[in-house]
Amino acid sequence: MKEEPIQRPPIEDASRGPLRASSPEGKRLPSRHDAAGIPVRDDRPRPPRDLSRRSVLKLMAASAVLAAGSTACTRKPPRHIVSMADSPEYQNPGAPLYYASTWTEGLVPYGIVVKTVDGRPIKIEGHRDHPLNRGASSAAMQAALLSLYDPDRLRTPERKGESITWREADEEIIAALRSARSAVLITRSSLGPSERALVRAFERACPAVRHVVHETVHDGPRRGAWRKIFGKPGTVRPRLDRARIVVSFDADFLGTEPDALGAIRDFSRTRVPAGQDGEAARLSRLYVVESAMTVTGSNADHRVPLRPSRMPGLVKALSGALKGHDAPLTAFCRKHGLDSAVLAALAKDLASHQGEAVVLGGAHLPESVHAAIALLNDAIGAPGKTLEWNPEPPALRVDDPAAIASLLERGVDVLICLGVNPVHDWPGGGFERLLEKAKLSVGHGLHADETVSACTLSLPSCHNLESWNDAAPLPNLRSLCQPVIAPLFDARQEAASLLAWTRALTANGAESEAPVDWFGWLRARWETGPLAASSSEAGSLRNAWEEALRKGLAGQPGSVDFPGPDREAAEALAATTQPPSGDFDLVIAPHHALLDGRFANNGWLQEFPDPVSKLVWDNAAVIGPATAARLDLAEGDWAAVGAGERTLVLPVLIQPGTAPGVVAVTLGHGRTRCGAVGERRGFNTAPLVGAGKDRSAPRFAANAAIQRAAPGSRPAGQPDRYELVRTQKAFSQEGRPIVLDCTLGEYNRDPASARKHLHIPEGKQLDDEWDYSKGRKWAMAIDLSACVGCGACMIACQAENNIPVVGKAECGLGREMHWMRIDRYQDGDEKNPEVSQQPMLCQHCDNAPCESVCPVNATAHSTEGLNEQVYNRCVGTRYCANNCPYKVRRFNFYNYTKENVTDPVRELSCNPQVTVRSRGVMEKCTFCVQRINEAKFRARNEGREVDDGAIVPACAQACAAGAIVFGDLNDRSSRIARLAADPLAYRVLEELNVRPNVAYLARVRNPHPDVPVAGSGAPDRGDDQHEGGGH
Amino acid sequence: MFTKKFDRRIYIAAAAMGFSLLFGIAFGTYTLWPANLETGYQPEQPIEFSHAVMAGQYEIECIYCHSLAEKGPHATIPQTETCMKCHNEIKTKDARGEIKPEIAKLLDYWERKEPIPWVKVHDLADFVYFDHSRHMAPASELECADCHGAVETMDRVERVYSLKMGWCLDCHMEPPREGTPEGQETRAPITCTTCHR
Repeated sequence: MKEEPIQRPPIEDASRGPLRASSPEGKRLPSRHDAAGIPVRDDRPRPPRDLSRRSVLKLMAASAVLAAGSTACTRKPPRHIVSMADSPEYQNPGAPLYYASTWTEGLVPYGIVVKTVDGRPIKIEGHRDHPLNRGASSAAMQAALLSLYDPDRLRTPERKGESITWREADEEIIAALRSARSAVLITRSSLGPSERALVRAFERACPAVRHVVHETVHDGPRRGAWRKIFGKPGTVRPRLDRARIVVSFDADFLGTEPDALGAIRDFSRTRVPAGQDGEAARLSRLYVVESAMTVTGSNADHRVPLRPSRMPGLVKALSGALKGHDAPLTAFCRKHGLDSAVLAALAKDLASHQGEAVVLGGAHLPESVHAAIALLNDAIGAPGKTLEWNPEPPALRVDDPAAIASLLERGVDVLICLGVNPVHDWPGGGFERLLEKAKLSVGHGLHADETVSACTLSLPSCHNLESWNDAAPLPNLRSLCQPVIAPLFDARQEAASLLAWTRALTANGAESEAPVDWFGWLRARWETGPLAASSSEAGSLRNAWEEALRKGLAGQPGSVDFPGPDREAAEALAATTQPPSGDFDLVIAPHHALLDGRFANNGWLQEFPDPVSKLVWDNAAVIGPATAARLDLAEGDWAAVGAGERTLVLPVLIQPGTAPGVVAVTLGHGRTRCGAVGERRGFNTAPLVGAGKDRSAPRFAANAAIQRAAPGSRPAGQPDRYELVRTQKAFSQEGRPIVLDCTLGEYNRDPASARKHLHIPEGKQLDDEWDYSKGRKWAMAIDLSACVGCGACMIACQAENNIPVVGKAECGLGREMHWMRIDRYQDGDEKNPEVSQQPMLCQHCDNAPCESVCPVNATAHSTEGLNEQVYNRCVGTRYCANNCPYKVRRFNFYNYTKENVTDPVRELSCNPQVTVRSRGVMEKCTFCVQRINEAKFRARNEGREVDDGAIVPACAQACAAGAIVFGDLNDRSSRIARLAADPLAYRVLEELNVRPNVAYLARVRNPHPDVPVAGSGAPDRGDDQHEGGGH
Repeated sequence: MFTKKFDRRIYIAAAAMGFSLLFGIAFGTYTLWPANLETGYQPEQPIEFSHAVMAGQYEIECIYCHSLAEKGPHATIPQTETCMKCHNEIKTKDARGEIKPEIAKLLDYWERKEPIPWVKVHDLADFVYFDHSRHMAPASELECADCHGAVETMDRVERVYSLKMGWCLDCHMEPPREGTPEGQETRAPITCTTCHR
C-alpha cells in the first residue's frame, strides 16, 4: 500500500471506451426501472398481437433463417485479454488488494478496509484496529459500495440542467463570492479536522461567508444539556464493557444512535455467559424504558413501554428511590400502570452497582430529561467509570434551523450547500422558498437531489471511496480516508471545490502559500499535525505518512478527565420539564438504514428490513395494538398524524410493544429526487420535525395527535389501504422450540437447561453415511446471547455474494433474495412482548432434504460438509426450496441481475469471485465458499494447513457482536468445535434429523431474580418450577 | 387454406426448410462435437508473436512473461512494458532495412501506450473459477505444457486440450498422492465448489 493510489488510471474496457463517457449530452442516462422503481423485470417474449397468415409466414421464414444461421455459428465470439501497456505497482489481476480508509458518510467516522480487485472496490469491511468499530461494519457502511456504483449519480457540473465545465462553474462562483455582501455555506456536521480547517480558511478568504451546520438527525438536545451542566462542549461516551447494569431511556444505543457498532461490541461482550471453572457466570442486565419498540428494547431483560413525556417523572422517582424514598416510585408505577416490581428491581440494581451502572438517554429527548439523567448518572458514580468524556466530538454542533432560516430570509448573494439536502429534510419543510431568495445557489452532492437540482449550479461530488479525507473519532486519534478508485464521473470532492474557491479569493494573500490541491492540503496538515509527533520515531515524515496510509490511523486515543457537573444548573434544567399537552407523544427516529434519507437511492438499504417490524421499502406511523384498536385503525389504514399545527397523512403500522400514547415515525423516505431506486418510496416525515413545543428537541413532540384520516385527505393516487410489505408475516413461535433461551439463574444451576425441553427422537439413517471424521468439516455457531439482531450481516452477505434487489412488489410475494435473514419472534403479551431473534441461513444439513429431491443433481454435498448449489446445472424446478424446512433457498423468478450486465456502472459493482445468477436459478448461502477456497488455496500453496479463524465469512466479518463463528469441526482445538459442544448449543428443528451444521447457542437472559416471570410465551418456561423447586 | 399456387410455394419452402434443417443438424453435430469445438482453436493475434521463437529458439521461461502464474489466479499476459524490456534494444531489421513489421506493430502500440488486444485462446466458461497459482504450486507436480501443450513449438498458439470439465476431472480424479490432505480420496478435490461458486 504505497503512496497515492489515486494515480491509478480509470478503469476502462477497450471494447466500450472509458466509463466517464456518459450519453452524448452528458445527461443522466435514462433509467432502467419501471414506474414502481423496480428493476425492469418483465422481459418475456410476447406473441405478436395479430397472428395473420402473413405474419405466420414471416415468422416461419425468419426462424428458418435463424436456425440455419445459428447452427453455422458454433464458436462463441473471440474474447480479448487486454493487459495494460505500463502497469502500476502491485497489480495481480484477479487477486485482491486491501486499502485502509475511513467511512465518513454516517454520523460517526468508522474505520474500513476496502477490498479491491483489478482496481475496483468490491467489498467494504470493518477496520480491525479502529477503536470505534474494531472490525465490525454496519449495513450502511457495507452498502456504500452500491452507492459508489450508482448509475443515477450526477455525472457533470450543471447550470440549471445544462452541462457545463468545472472551470465555468468555478468562475461563476468565484465572481459571485468576490462581490458578495452576504454568503452562507451549509455543511453536514461530520466534517473532518482538515475539512474544518479548510472551512475556516474559506471564511477568512471571504469574510462575507457565514458557515452553518445543518443536520436533521443529531444529538443536539443531549449535547446542549451537557454543555449547560459541564460548562464546556463535548460528548459523553458510554463504556458498556464496564457496566453491569445498563438503563436506557428511549436510547436506541444498539440501533440508530451514533456509534452503535462500538456499543454493540461492548454490550455483547458482557452478555455471553462464560463462568470460570466452578464460578457462576455473570452477565450485565439491560433495562429499557422506551416509547417505540427498538433493537435495544428487543434485547432488554426488562422492557418498560412508556411515553417519553412521562420519562422525566420516572427519572425523578428513581433518583428519589436511590436516596431511599420509595413512595414516589410506587405511586408513579400505580398512576401509569407500570410493573412496580421491575422498577423497584431497577432502583435496587442502580443502588447496589455504584460505578458499574450507566443510564443513557435518547438523542431526541428534551434537554430537561438529559439533565435529570445526568444527575442520576452522577448519583450512581457513572462519570469517569462507565461514562467517558470526549471534548472533541467527531460531529460539529448543529445550528438552529430557525437561525439559519432568518439568515436566508433576508436574501443572501451566495448560498452554498455542501453535501446537505435541506430541501428534503428541513425541519417543517419549506427550504425551497429560502433557496429561491439567494441570488446564486450552489448545490454540491452525489446526486442531483432535491437541493442540488433546485440550485442554480449543480456540482457532482466524489463518493467516500473516491475521496481523500480525515476524521477524529476519539481525542488524539486521527483516521485517514484514502481513495480506492479514481472518480467514475466528472466529479470533484466538496473539499477540493472549497479549496479552489479559497485559493482564488486569496490570490497573493497568506493562503496562496497553501498547496494547490486538496490532497496536498490534507497531507500538509497531517505532516504538521498528527505525524509530526510520530515522525521522529518512524524515521522520516515520508515513512510516517506511508505508515499512516497503510494503517489508516495515527495517534493513540487518550483518556480525558470527566469534568465536574454543575448540579444546580442540572437541577434547574431538569425542573423545566413540560407535562404532555396532547394525547400522544410523537417520536421521530432516523431510519435504521437510510438515516435521514441520504442513502435513499441504495437498493440494498431500501430492501433491508426494519429490524423490528421487518418493513421494507417504506415507512409508516407506528402505533401499538391497543391504540390501533381504540382508534379503529388497521395496518395500512391512513391516519392523520399531527403535532402542533402540522399534520401528515401516513399509513399505520401496528407494532406490539409500542407504548400507549406514542406515535413513532422514521425519517429518510419520501424522496422526490434522488434516482430511480429511492424516489417516491414511503413518506417524508421531515415536515413533522420541530413541531413540538420544546425547540431544543425537534424530533420529539408531546403535543401530537393521531386519528383516522378523512377520506379525501389521503395522498393523491393512493388506494384506500396502503400496502405495507414486511418480509416476515408471522411473529410467534407458536410454542415450538425454535429460539431456545433460559435465565442466568437456570443456566448457573444447569448449563444445559435451555435444551431441557427439546425432544429429539432417535433418527434413522436410510442411506449410507459419509464419514466426515477425516479432513475438514465446516460448521458455524451463532451465539444468540451476543446477537442483537441489527441485521448488518444481511447486507454484508448481499455485498459479498452479488445478491440482487427485487423491489417492493416482489418482496410482497415473499421473493426477497437475502441469503441470510434475521427471524424475529414476539411472544407473550402484545403490549410488551418477549422478543427473540435468530439469524437464519442455509444450515448445510448433513442429511439435506433439498439434495435428495433435485432431479438434475444441481445441489450436492461436498466432502467437507458444505451443501453446494451449482448454478450452471440448476434448471429451476424449485423442488429443493419446497423441501427445505428453513426456507433459506431463494429463487430468481425474474432476471433481477439484468442491470448488472447491461449497465456499465452497475457491472463494476459485482464481486468477481462469485457467479452472478440469472433468471430461473436457485441460490442460497454457500458459507462464503469463495473465502474458504481462497484461504485453503493460500495455505496449501504455502504448504500448511488452514489456521483456525483464517476463514471469516462475510456475515461473521461484519458482526459487531462477534456472534458468528465459523471453522472446522474436525479441528478439536478450534473455537467452533468448542462452541458446537457447548451445553447451550442446539440445532434448529433438530428433531427432523436433517443434521444441520449451524449450531445456535441458546440465549441466556438475565432478568432480576426478584421480578416474577410474566405470562411468558416462550415455550420452555412454565414447567421449569418443578425441576428447579427441588434445589 | 391457401390458393393452389400458394400451396406449391409452401411445399417448396417446407422442402427447402427440411433440407436446411438436416444440413444444419449434420453441420452442427460436427462442429459442436467436443473435440472439434474446443481443440485446434487458433485465432489470429494482433501481433504475430511466435512462441516457437521466444520459448523454443531462445528458451525464455514461460514464467518470465506470464509472471503471475505462480502468484495469482491468472497467468497474465505480460504488459507491453515487459516486451519492451528486450525490444527497446532488439529492433531486428528485415531485408529492406526496415524494422520487422511485427516488431514495428509492438513499438507502435507502445508509442501510443495502447494495450494490445490479444485474443484469448484458453477461454473457460464464466462459471468456472480456475486458479493458476494452485496448479503451479510444486505439490501439484504440473507443467504448463500439461494443459497448454507444447507451446514452444507453436508459431501461433493453438488450443491443444478441450479444457472441458471431463478433461479436468481426468486429472482431479486420479488416486491420491503423497501429501494429499487427509479425507480426500482423489488427487485433487472434486466437489462442485472447487471450481463453481
